[in-house]
Amino acid sequence: MSVRINPDPAPDLLAAIALNRQAQSTALQQISTGRIVNRLSDNPAAASQDVLNHVQSNQDDQFLQNNSFLQSQAASTDSTLSSVVTAVTQAISLGVEGANGTLSDANRQAVAEQVSGIRDQVLGLANQTFQGNYLFAGTATSTQPFVLDATQPDGVKYNGNTNVNSIQISSGQSIQINLPGSQIFTNPAGDVLGALNGLITALQTNTGLPAANTNLDQAFTEFTTQRVFYGNALKQLQSSQTSLNSDKLQLATQENTLVGVDLATSITNLEQASTATNAILSATNQILSTLNLLNYLK
Amino acid sequence: MGSLFATLGITLGAMEADRGAVEITSNNIANVNTTGYSREQVNLSENAPVEIGNILFGTGVTLGQTTSVRDNLLEQRLDQENQSASQLNSFLGAMSQVQSLFNETAGSGLQSPLSAFFNSLTQLSTDPSNSSYREGVLTAGQNLASALRQDSSNLQALQGNTDLSVVQSVNQVNQLTQQIASLNVQVSGLESIGKDPGAFLDQRTQLVRQLSGLIDISETSAGNGSLTIATTSGAVLVDGSQSFELSTQVNPNTTYHDVFSNGVDITPNITGGSLGGSIQARDQAIPGVLNQLDTLGYNLETSFNTQSRAGFDANGTAGVNFFTQPASAAGAASSIAVAISDPNLVAASSDGTVGSNGNALALANLQNQAIVSGQTPINYYSNLVFQVGNQVSQAQSEQTAVGLVQQQLTDQRGAVSGVSLDEEAVNLIRYQSAYEASANVVNVVNQLLTTTINMTQ
Repeated sequence: MSVRINPDPAPDLLAAIALNRQAQSTALQQISTGRIVNRLSDNPAAASQDVLNHVQSNQDDQFLQNNSFLQSQAASTDSTLSSVVTAVTQAISLGVEGANGTLSDANRQAVAEQVSGIRDQVLGLANQTFQGNYLFAGTATSTQPFVLDATQPDGVKYNGNTNVNSIQISSGQSIQINLPGSQIFTNPAGDVLGALNGLITALQTNTGLPAANTNLDQAFTEFTTQRVFYGNALKQLQSSQTSLNSDKLQLATQENTLVGVDLATSITNLEQASTATNAILSATNQILSTLNLLNYLK
Repeated sequence: MGSLFATLGITLGAMEADRGAVEITSNNIANVNTTGYSREQVNLSENAPVEIGNILFGTGVTLGQTTSVRDNLLEQRLDQENQSASQLNSFLGAMSQVQSLFNETAGSGLQSPLSAFFNSLTQLSTDPSNSSYREGVLTAGQNLASALRQDSSNLQALQGNTDLSVVQSVNQVNQLTQQIASLNVQVSGLESIGKDPGAFLDQRTQLVRQLSGLIDISETSAGNGSLTIATTSGAVLVDGSQSFELSTQVNPNTTYHDVFSNGVDITPNITGGSLGGSIQARDQAIPGVLNQLDTLGYNLETSFNTQSRAGFDANGTAGVNFFTQPASAAGAASSIAVAISDPNLVAASSDGTVGSNGNALALANLQNQAIVSGQTPINYYSNLVFQVGNQVSQAQSEQTAVGLVQQQLTDQRGAVSGVSLDEEAVNLIRYQSAYEASANVVNVVNQLLTTTINMTQ
């Protein structure tokens, strides 16, 4: 006796149709979203890694935004300091001119006036702000850092502090982004503002001019040494910008590998599922409408 | 030698048997698409012979009780697989919704507000005196808190919905067990008088199948055709003509319904059927995710507040808590909120000056520190995403496997009990031919009788 088989093929046919419809829908979703992982359960490990990837990418975006702000700030600082260099260079020439013994008192006074103008210009530059914050006040950015004060030995009072800020410029990398103003403009190793004040007094009184000039030279050297810091910071920021951009590119590639769809595969899957569905539908039609023996009983 | 009238009697009996057989066949054909119907077999038996002279003569055919063709073991296997399938369906129904809450691939989830919050602090560190950056930190903090609260409240709502389905399932169980108990009476009644209780058995099998979709059961035959049904952990649901109701009662600790049988709490023992799936989602899977959210929320709040208090705000005064400080981790995610509303109170400074960014940097750096159960907040969250996805993925794999087994068993059941129209057509022809033949015999006997009667004239 032959083995009896299930006389009702409908449930199997329906299951096969459902399976292929699901494969069609999955392939369609993959093609339309461009992602192979559309639910966490599609690939929990990839979905979880994707979270970290997104966080890193968002962080990079923020770092890039910060970087652009910091570069503007560093550029503005550098340009301010460059103006100081021009001004002090001019003051040095004037000092040399003032030290020339052939100069009349009136002319020396005039030179003193000019140097005084330069000192005010440098003072103004030392009190420069960027977006409302004093650039050279340490972290006391809301306080005007430098004021002329005759009671001070160098004639200048520093109202800022000696604190500095560091900024994270990429994941795990921080740099210091400012120097306290006192380190730049009133450094004991070379006090630019003090030396300018000294030169003015020397010119006005015609005493100690060579020493005042030497002081200014020394202060200028110290100033340019300190200035290098900002140039370096700017370079670091630029290099970090480049590496952040390449990191973002790598993250995008990684994301594509993790959850991106291989269009060729998905389209092939869609084709296969569609062909299979059509085949099953036509088979279903044939099987269910096939005449059985009862139809022959006439 | 028998009489012609005896022959007529045999023929009449045969015609009646064939007519009955056609009726049974037509009943099979009528039920070809009836779910749970088991085909009935015609039982023809030869009548006892009579001895006339020294010769034994047959006395024809009798149509016996029909037999429903079923394999009880197969039905029980189907019930078992049905328990697993329903359990997985119901579990997946709830967990798919949990999964969609954290579907980072579709842009929902906590990754975005978490990133935005820490990024707002990184931004503030570039210019701590910038009031719009400070406002940005407050807004990002509020968004993060709101996302955590939203997820937590969605999970609780989901738990509540699952709880409702627990209560509904228990009501359905009680209705079914009542019906099964009354069918037990009918089946054993018919069996005791030697009749085939096929139709009632089919009904009972169908109801037991439905019951197995609701709760994990074990079936034992009581011997007289009646079925004893208990949960797999041993709580009796049906015993002969008696059914035992399950009841639900709100657990004051969880505020959800526990299931009781005869005053005993059987909730943790229910592992199968939709009830098992709902209970698993309600009492284990969803609370697991909620706990993780609470841990994340609590540790974020605590670490953030501690660091905030270590710094100074824009006015130079000591920092205050950024988030409201919860007493414990339990429920932290559902109550998390930003405690300050003045952007100047964000403690970005480490030395009391408005331009210092030390504390903003330290706050931003919390994202890289193992502040949540030995992991960074993002790593902890990405693990949560993995776990939720993995639970769903595993359940889906099991569902596929169970589905295949169910399909095979259904095929096997069909092979045993399903009505084949070809078979029935052949039977119909056989019984029709036999009926026609018997009618011809009547004709022949009639002619013989006529001949005999004419002999006497």
